[in-house]
Amino acid sequence: MEYGLDLEYSFNEFLKGFGLSSEIAHIIWLPIPMLLVLVAAVVGVLVTVWLERKISAAAQQRIGPEYAGALGVLQPIADGLKLLVKEDIIPAKADGILFTAGPILVLVPVILSWLIVPFGQNLLISNVGIGIFLWIALSSIQPIGLLMSGYASNNKYSLLGGLRAAAQSISYEIPLALSVLAIVLMTNSLSTVDIVNQQSGAGILSWNIWRQPVGFIVFWICALAECERLPFDLPEAEEELVAGYQTEYAGMKFALFYLGSYINLILSALLVSILYLGGWGFPVPVELIAKFLNLPINAPFIQVFTASIGIVMTVLKAYLLVFIAILLRWTTPRVRIDQLLDLGWKFLLPISLANLLITAGLKLAFPQFFGG
Amino acid sequence: MKNFLQQINSYIKEAYNAGKYLYNGLSVTFDHLRRRPVTVQYPYEKLIPSERYRGRIHYEFDKCIACEVCVRVCPINLPVVDWVMNKETKKKELRNYSIDFGVCIFCGNCVEYCPTNCLSMTEEYELATFDRHNLNFDNVALGRLPTNVTTDPSVKPLRELTYLPKGVMDPHEIPASDTRVGKLPEEVYDWMRPEHNENKDTVSNPNN
Repeated sequence: MEYGLDLEYSFNEFLKGFGLSSEIAHIIWLPIPMLLVLVAAVVGVLVTVWLERKISAAAQQRIGPEYAGALGVLQPIADGLKLLVKEDIIPAKADGILFTAGPILVLVPVILSWLIVPFGQNLLISNVGIGIFLWIALSSIQPIGLLMSGYASNNKYSLLGGLRAAAQSISYEIPLALSVLAIVLMTNSLSTVDIVNQQSGAGILSWNIWRQPVGFIVFWICALAECERLPFDLPEAEEELVAGYQTEYAGMKFALFYLGSYINLILSALLVSILYLGGWGFPVPVELIAKFLNLPINAPFIQVFTASIGIVMTVLKAYLLVFIAILLRWTTPRVRIDQLLDLGWKFLLPISLANLLITAGLKLAFPQFFGG
Repeated sequence: MKNFLQQINSYIKEAYNAGKYLYNGLSVTFDHLRRRPVTVQYPYEKLIPSERYRGRIHYEFDKCIACEVCVRVCPINLPVVDWVMNKETKKKELRNYSIDFGVCIFCGNCVEYCPTNCLSMTEEYELATFDRHNLNFDNVALGRLPTNVTTDPSVKPLRELTYLPKGVMDPHEIPASDTRVGKLPEEVYDWMRPEHNENKDTVSNPNN
């Protein structure tokens, strides 16, 4: 399975051609994919904000942003610029250090999680052995930041919002981890690259969604709850809590929260597509296409083709899920806090636990279908 | 054991129903995506006011005889008629006339009762100002004619809902040749003329 573009190797070879040692070549290489992924994440947020506004407008028979650029594509940039030059206010009775650290602590783990998102066989920052576990661990730092900013604001709405955010994140993390565990059980690996490769055997037929339909639904519901998307946006329920833990924030600190929530949404969509929808896999296996065209799988043309198809497929699947999330936002009413905890503890937790046990049983009974 | 199975059964039914309702809701929102907005994009598009639209009042100074009927019929005696009696000719001499549109309710009673028809209602409705005193129109301001929506080159005029063809809800991209639903006023007039009286029995309702 070790095919595909290895850009790092080619880049290092290219630098060695100029007489540089391999250590220096590696140091020069290191920041490039990080910057690239950071830029990709920010551009992804801009696209998602624009899509959210346009799709919301279409669902309500409005037109949406129209004058900033063609079809309003520059609207998110205009919003960002506005937030960038806005006055930065720290309330007089707030705790300055915690108040400032809150949004940073929310944003940084989300961006760090992009470490493990693969867009192709070698197209990720680092293929960590504990990949998906790293994401679960990082995502549990976020509620601390939310609680911190809610408590430090010295505002009743902020505090309530922060407490709700913490309660929600903690209770939905368990079914999330359990449904990920079922996938890991089938793959025998925590690495995201291995999880995708395990699904790439027969194109669309071997995607995990067919073997884990319950896990897919549980994971998607939990991911929406973790992102505080609309059926579960209690922490910032504007009718009751003004803006939740964001109430006292303005300017760039508010922008960090905003950026964080959208990066988190895209990240969740990407992870759903990686865990359940075959990641960068094309619905028809690329090997079959190569065989059909009578080309060897190692041909440079095929390699570039598979890499670009991989990126396009990952992004396409992720944005399809983002679209569903936006549509859900305008379909479902917000749940109450007791309904939220009911759903989390009394429905999703037992369901995902049963799903894990059944997966384990099926793995023992049919090792060829459920991973050996 | 039986009780437990029953609980599991109702549990599954509840989950199934929740999924079904979610699907129904999603299909409604998804269906809305293909509907285009019918919204009038004001200030670039404007509705054509109807024939009897009661907008800003127009006043002709030269026709006015300073009888003050407009003041008497006005619910709040709003028009200010500033006249003096000319002792030599024994006639009223009108000096100024003003209506404060910050107070006017556009009921049209003054227009209705004016004996010389020097008052009329226009289709102008954009009266916003930065200072409420600017809404007090004197006889010069009252004598100005409003710009017409249909002749303004910077505005796309759109027909109101009742002026659209039958069954049409969206005023955009309707050809001007399409007539409104029901009979036009001149058609009703034709129908009312005495030589058509014998047809009256067959066509009972002029609105058909």
